[in-house]
Amino acid sequence: MDDHQLAGTLDAGPLAAKTPVLDTVTTEVAAVSGIEVDAPLPAVRLQGVTKRFPGGRNHDPVVAVDDLDLDIRDGEFFSLLGPSGCGKTTTLRMIAGFEYPSAGSLQIFGQEVGLEPPNKRPVNTVFQSYALFPHMTVAKNIAFGLEMQQLPVDEIDRRVAEVIELVQLQGREGRRPKQLSGGQQQRVALARALVNHPKVLLLDEPLGALDLKLRQAMQLELKRIQEQVGITFVYVTHDQEEALTMSDRIAVMDGGRLLQVGDPEEIYDRPRTRFVADFIGDTNLLIAEVLDADTARLYDGTVVRVPTGAPAGSTVTLAVRPEKLGLWHADAERDLRLDALTGTIRRVTFLGNAINYEVVAGERAPVELVVRQGNTPGIEHFADGERVRVRWLPGSVAVLED
Amino acid sequence: MSLTDTSGASRPLVADDSVIRPKRGVERLLAGNAWLVFAFLYLPILLLFVLSFNDNRVVGVWTEPSLRWYRAMITDSAVLGALRNSIVVAFISTVVSTILGTAAGLSLERFRYRGQRTYDGLLYLPVIIPDVTMAVMMLLFFVQAFDLLGAMLGVSATFGIGTISLSHIAFNISFVAVVVRARIVGLDPSLEEAAADLYASRWQAFRRVTLPLIAPGVAGGALLALTLSLDEVVITSFVAGPGSTTLPVYVFGLVRRGVTPLINAVSVLMLVGSMLLVLASLLLSRQRNTT
Repeated sequence: MDDHQLAGTLDAGPLAAKTPVLDTVTTEVAAVSGIEVDAPLPAVRLQGVTKRFPGGRNHDPVVAVDDLDLDIRDGEFFSLLGPSGCGKTTTLRMIAGFEYPSAGSLQIFGQEVGLEPPNKRPVNTVFQSYALFPHMTVAKNIAFGLEMQQLPVDEIDRRVAEVIELVQLQGREGRRPKQLSGGQQQRVALARALVNHPKVLLLDEPLGALDLKLRQAMQLELKRIQEQVGITFVYVTHDQEEALTMSDRIAVMDGGRLLQVGDPEEIYDRPRTRFVADFIGDTNLLIAEVLDADTARLYDGTVVRVPTGAPAGSTVTLAVRPEKLGLWHADAERDLRLDALTGTIRRVTFLGNAINYEVVAGERAPVELVVRQGNTPGIEHFADGERVRVRWLPGSVAVLED
Repeated sequence: MSLTDTSGASRPLVADDSVIRPKRGVERLLAGNAWLVFAFLYLPILLLFVLSFNDNRVVGVWTEPSLRWYRAMITDSAVLGALRNSIVVAFISTVVSTILGTAAGLSLERFRYRGQRTYDGLLYLPVIIPDVTMAVMMLLFFVQAFDLLGAMLGVSATFGIGTISLSHIAFNISFVAVVVRARIVGLDPSLEEAAADLYASRWQAFRRVTLPLIAPGVAGGALLALTLSLDEVVITSFVAGPGSTTLPVYVFGLVRRGVTPLINAVSVLMLVGSMLLVLASLLLSRQRNTT
């Protein structure tokens, strides 16, 4: 240990002389000499955070957020995703300071802030209703936070102009919020928060009130702005598509608990629970009996290759996305690299960009599957009642924990 | 005004005769009714107004127009004293009850605390309680309070402007709270959260965001308090001390001593005063609709 440190200091000598940034030097040196460096501070760290509201049925407190442990990294676009009432908004409101945790620790860049009022926290919020001050102009709305911090007037003017350019609201400075469209109000709300250079920006379903086209445009816009300013975004939404499109990482919540945290691919391709598999996208849930560590058997007798992670003879639930399945003629030659199941088409639904086939396999204990084929040129279309083989790559099936 | 409305409605709205329209007779009756209501409401006012310019000592006998009673009014020290008292009481009670009523409205809408529901229910008691009951209550309260003050601190307090003002504050708080609360209900709570989120302290959030947005409600409540205080007779007459009577109480006393045309002039003054206040509150509420 001492030797390492000594070596580190010696090595740092010439380096330190070249570069004035000391932090970087120690990190580099530590990495070289193999000393474990503390991971960078998370932007937001929740440890055992619980929120109980008084006055449920029989005056029992209602638990809105239940023992939440969560680290949100610096600079990431982080989404809290879940159905209404899952505790995602309460979690956001606790980070903002509008609610205080009943138990647990809440840190922003290492600083314990759980009981600080909102005006003492280095975060800003974009509200679902935008909450623009109707009696102030766009410029006054945006300048509000800076005025409250008593910054010099010329700096306020400079920063307001800067952020107005960032959200492309030039020429609207003198308007009242009522005179703006929904999308423009949304931009003002964003500018009013960003102008304060918060360490973390909190967004509570900010696109919920916009129509589909505008929402999609704003999703890209938000992502662009986030990348441009490099601030940590914590984004609350119940829209799984929105979360998948924009986020670096997603936390799926239900009933006040955290079910899974991961990047969009992880959440979509490898859901850990039924709820996550079901809430995000469409999914086929299949019950299977474990044969050994690598195989399991479906009810109709089909053997599939999956890393079961459960003792032989136990029952597991498998999840596979409809678009990961392919359709083939039942009498075609088998491709041994793929797992397959033979069945009959029960229903065909045309979706425009894709076609959904409902396939039933097995007779005594039927297994039902939905297969989605992209409506691309050259793809074979199947008809109701046709015998087909459904096939998939073994890696596309996820084993659920419940 | 509503007369023209009625005649307007009697014109056929569509040219098609097959459309069933109300019978002419019904419409005439309704139009007549409007006239009748107008007559009931405004003939006495017209009469009061005309007779206030009558030169005769006897109220009902017209001789010739003059400003005699207005001149008498502005030189009558009793009238002027009562008017001054009225204005002082109205001013004090309006300012205090507007502050307390606004605070009450805010606390009921924006905070949660023990005993809130009870407070909510009891706050509006003065709105429904009969004036006479309130008057007796206040009288009893002051007598007891004065005894206590005298016994414990040796301070001798008496009935006068102070007691009248306190009584007016007592009933005005409820009315102000009702009006202000209606305005707060329509205010998105996230506006105040947004202010706090943007580094405003509680007080700054109130000053810069809440107050400007509920201002029309607060002003409306204040005008209502002012009008109620200027008109109040029953409670005031119970808690007024000697020499501290207000204008409406003074007029009431004049009637008992025999009606003189001076009353007409004073009444016209009060009428014009209240009409100006109503006009002001109308203008405020119109502004409320545009924001």
